[in-house]
Order: sequence, then C-alpha cells, then structure tokens
Amino acid sequence: MIWKEKYKIGVPLIDAQHEELFARVTNFVETLRSDKEWDEKVNSVNDTLGFMKDYVVTHFRDEEAYQEEIGYPGLEEHRKTHQDMVSYVGSISEQYEQNGFKEITMQQFAGKLVTWLVNHVVADDQKIADYANQEGK
Amino acid sequence: MKADLLTPFTNAACQTFKLLLDVDALAEAAQGVDGESDQSNRVHVAIGITGDLTGEVLYRFPADTTLEIVKTMSGMEFSEIDEFVTSALGEIANIISGNAVTDLSQMEIVCDILPPEILGDGTQARSNETTYAFTARVNTSIGDIEVLLQLQS
Ligand SMILES: [Fe+2]
Repeated sequence: MIWKEKYKIGVPLIDAQHEELFARVTNFVETLRSDKEWDEKVNSVNDTLGFMKDYVVTHFRDEEAYQEEIGYPGLEEHRKTHQDMVSYVGSISEQYEQNGFKEITMQQFAGKLVTWLVNHVVADDQKIADYANQEGK
Repeated sequence: MKADLLTPFTNAACQTFKLLLDVDALAEAAQGVDGESDQSNRVHVAIGITGDLTGEVLYRFPADTTLEIVKTMSGMEFSEIDEFVTSALGEIANIISGNAVTDLSQMEIVCDILPPEILGDGTQARSNETTYAFTARVNTSIGDIEVLLQLQS
C-alpha cells in the first residue's frame, strides 16, 4: 500500500500511526502475495498478520482517545466502525485457525482489509480532521 | 420516479472512485444495458437490499478495470481475478452501497444492505433470472462500470 500525503489528518500521533499501520498491512500483504508456495510462506504470513493485528488495537484505542479529547460528535459511530472491524478480524482469525491455516481465508481477508483501510482513512478519519479544523482544535 | 433511486448508487460510485482511487467518474443513464453489453469479461458483485426497499443492486466491473482498482489501492501488481481481488472488489461494492443507503436515509428511505456476493463473470450471473429495472453506466478513465437495480414493488 502506498502512503499518501492526502491521507494525513494533521494530528502527528494519528498520522504517524496510520503510516505505521499501512507499513504493517503492506508487510503482511506482500508476504501473502509473494511468489512462494503456501507451505513455505505460511509462517511468515502468520507472523506479519499478528504484528499487524496488534497494531490495529493500539491505533484504534489512541484514535478514539483523540476523538474524545476534541469532543468529536461522530465518536460513537466511529467507535462502532472500529469495533465492527475488530470483530471481523477476530472471526476471520478464528476461522483461519480452525481450518488449519488455509491460504484462501487469508487472501479473502487481505483483499477486504486493504480496501477497508484505504476507505476508512480517506473517508471516516478525514471527517475527524474536518471537525478539528472547523473548531480550530 | 423510481429510476431516481438509482442516482444515490451512481453518485456514491463516482465519489468512491474519486476518493479511493483518484479516478474521475461520470454517471449516465443507460437503457438496455442488461441485454446489450458483453458480460463475458466482467466481474459481477450483487448486494441485497432490505428495509423500505427490497431488492438487489448489481455492479458489473470489466476484468481489466477490476485489476486496475486493486492495483491502485494496494500498490501491487495483479494479473488475474483471484480471491484477493474479488474480495477487494466486494468491499468496494459494499462501500458504495453503504454510502448510497446513507444517502437514501436522508430521503427518509431506510434500508440495510447484505454482504456482497461475487457472481463471477456473466456466465454465473443471475441476470438471466432477475430483471433489473433500472440501469446506469458509470464512465471512468479505467473503464465503465454498470450499475443495475432491481426492486420488488
Ligand atoms: Fe479510524
């Protein structure tokens, strides 16, 4: 995934976290899409997946704390969007473990994740920036 | 009057292309999209609608447009329509439809959408069994997407 300047919301902590999140998702997706046989790459896929998932939790928590701090009126809706993603990631992970680490589960998950993340950053997270600017925060 | 119900979907498609892909898009009403165009090299994504409206919206993406969309978002090369690609496309359709439904709610029409269903190319599509009453085309620099809406009265 390519990090773009236009994704920035103007809050250094959140921007740095978004960039880091993009880097971790990219690492996961590039490992997943690499030209190796599944057997050869499944362990590194699982490592990069775990590394990415940990960061999602940290980032969502910090981003919600920032929204609370500035009194963002869309916080509850935004929190729900985060929670829905976290529960989707949870249920996919469970399915993946139960089916013995099938590649198809990860390919489907990663395709959706990339799209979701780009949209979330350019649409939902930008709204936080719009509010902060408008309120002079 | 009901053809207006398609507008939130085509508007949302244009906005999503602009926002996620930096691609300009323009919608046009298209009569008879259903029968005329070649469906053999398209990926179909259907999304069910429930609530004040009941039915389905169907998006038809040309295969090369699909690959271009996924390449733009991921920054990686894709040469075939695989599970990653269809899942990414399903999420695009989900985002478009979600935004359309939000738009409809401002017109006091309250609906929910169902998870996207990938119907593969034209051979697997259900358009033979289902009549899509409202059709439009969204023209973009990376290809034209067809948007079809079918509602139960
Ligand atoms: Fe967020």
